[in-house]
Amino acid sequence: MNMIEKILARGAGKKHVSPGDVVVAKVDLMVMHDLSSNFVMRVFETEMENASICDPERIAFVFDHNFSPATQQAAEALAAVRRFAARHGIHKVFDGGHGSVHHVIIENGLWAPGQIIIGCDSHTPIYGALGVFATGVGNNSMAALGFAHGRAWFRVPETMRVLFHGQAQAGVTPRDVAQHLVGRLGEDGAVYKAVEYAGPYMEAMEIEDRILFPLMSIDIGAKCGYVNPDEKTLAFARARSAAKDFEMPVNDADVIYCDTLEIDVSTLEPQVACPPTVGNVKPVGEIAGVKIDVAEIGGSTGGRLCDLRTLAARLKGRHAAEGVRLQVVPASRAIYREAMREGLLETLFDAGANIFPPSAGSNQAFNMGALAEDEVMISTQARNFPGRNGHPKARHYLASAETVAASALAGKIADPR
Amino acid sequence: MATPLILEGKCWKFGHNIPTDLITPTHITLRSIPEMAKHVLETANPDFPKEVQPGDLIVAGRNFGCSSGRAIAPKAIKATGVSVIVAELFARTFYRNGHEIGLPLLEAPGVHDLVETGDRLRVDIVRGTVENLTSGKRIQGTPPPDFLLEMLEAGGLIPLLKAGSRFFPEAESQE
Repeated sequence: MNMIEKILARGAGKKHVSPGDVVVAKVDLMVMHDLSSNFVMRVFETEMENASICDPERIAFVFDHNFSPATQQAAEALAAVRRFAARHGIHKVFDGGHGSVHHVIIENGLWAPGQIIIGCDSHTPIYGALGVFATGVGNNSMAALGFAHGRAWFRVPETMRVLFHGQAQAGVTPRDVAQHLVGRLGEDGAVYKAVEYAGPYMEAMEIEDRILFPLMSIDIGAKCGYVNPDEKTLAFARARSAAKDFEMPVNDADVIYCDTLEIDVSTLEPQVACPPTVGNVKPVGEIAGVKIDVAEIGGSTGGRLCDLRTLAARLKGRHAAEGVRLQVVPASRAIYREAMREGLLETLFDAGANIFPPSAGSNQAFNMGALAEDEVMISTQARNFPGRNGHPKARHYLASAETVAASALAGKIADPR
Repeated sequence: MATPLILEGKCWKFGHNIPTDLITPTHITLRSIPEMAKHVLETANPDFPKEVQPGDLIVAGRNFGCSSGRAIAPKAIKATGVSVIVAELFARTFYRNGHEIGLPLLEAPGVHDLVETGDRLRVDIVRGTVENLTSGKRIQGTPPPDFLLEMLEAGGLIPLLKAGSRFFPEAESQE
């Protein structure tokens, strides 16, 4: 069995599982953001008469779309979730300003290798970089099986493997490689599958970058993604997980893959996902010169400390191009604090950036990030679908922090090399 | 409230890669489901929420329901009275959510070119067939696996759990 199958078998109390099996497994953590916690709460309260919460300690809410509600309606929605949590003894509530949901969970150590994590958020597979089986489930799954029984149903996925070789050019980051993969496979390139990310390039990568790959698995249609745990996973878990004891399942030697794709990263240019989908990925050279109105470092695929460092290094002593609104959204409070300590925020402030509270940033435009018709944004966010950031005819390009920084300086999409 | 699995009605056709952001846009996500239904898919086709009738069908291309896994997207569609969605391919989260809320879904590669808006279709979920009654053309799709069929017939995950299922013996008792 591979890592995913071993974790699912253990969660389901079985010796062995195979692709195609349907299992009901115990879950170790149930993650929701401010919107999905409200949706799940409504299902639990209206459709699950007399049910009680199985284990409130295994539930975590992170308010990240709203760092501070901008409307009364949003305020009521958040207040209802706070009351629900208090009523049911759910203590792990991270209110607005704590950061982007999964970054908050990782930073606070609410995970451990070998666990099953479900989330009402399609980017939940992110924990696959940490030796965890993690996937997104619906609000009814979460309310009916998760809240009430601490369980979830899964179809055991087939697993495909992507092997990355070679050394990337300067200015080409793991974000570019992950985005290239999404473009190459397309939005349906791995539908319903698990994707294992491997090869020398992946092995050399730090966890902070590895998380991008399982996170972006949703955008190739996959159920989950993972990196077979190694010494880096173990060191990260020992340093960051709150769990003292954990087992770290790894692939057996005779793992079977339904498909293997090999990618040489050495020839890649920086990659940009263009409207209208995350799979419409082009080398930056093909779209350089597109004028931008907004540049943002933030979101579940951005706002990491490394992203802030990249932006600050590029903008030190300089200023964003005239007419460009530059937005910086740290992914967590710890990142915000470290960025203050290192002087990054001062550098970015002087470069004309607006610094926003740790949150999901412009993702879905709750507190920020709505665009008018024909406005253009380039960001490190994860999604660019029409209607997600204001007007359906606004255009949102997704790129690495390097490319966003170069574009902010140029006032148009620019090659960072 | 068993879900009917042979559906016949008038078709609304949508394109490829329709994300949940276009089914239930951000600005309506905190409203009630019946309120959302008044705006569902309006950006993709402004006539749809105004003119859709109970019993109508949706046909779409690849990756219907991609992007966020919000279950409110299939719920808002179901609230309009749409009886089934046939697509070339569904996004995984949408496919899971649809069955969990008792909304019939059928994957039928080739269906996008088989129909036009306004055609009358007959869809048989168990057999996986789509018949265009207007053109006389027919196509074979992929019926859902038994587990999802059982969930669908029960009316969704919650009714299935209440009724009991061989798939959920462990869920019967609290831990």
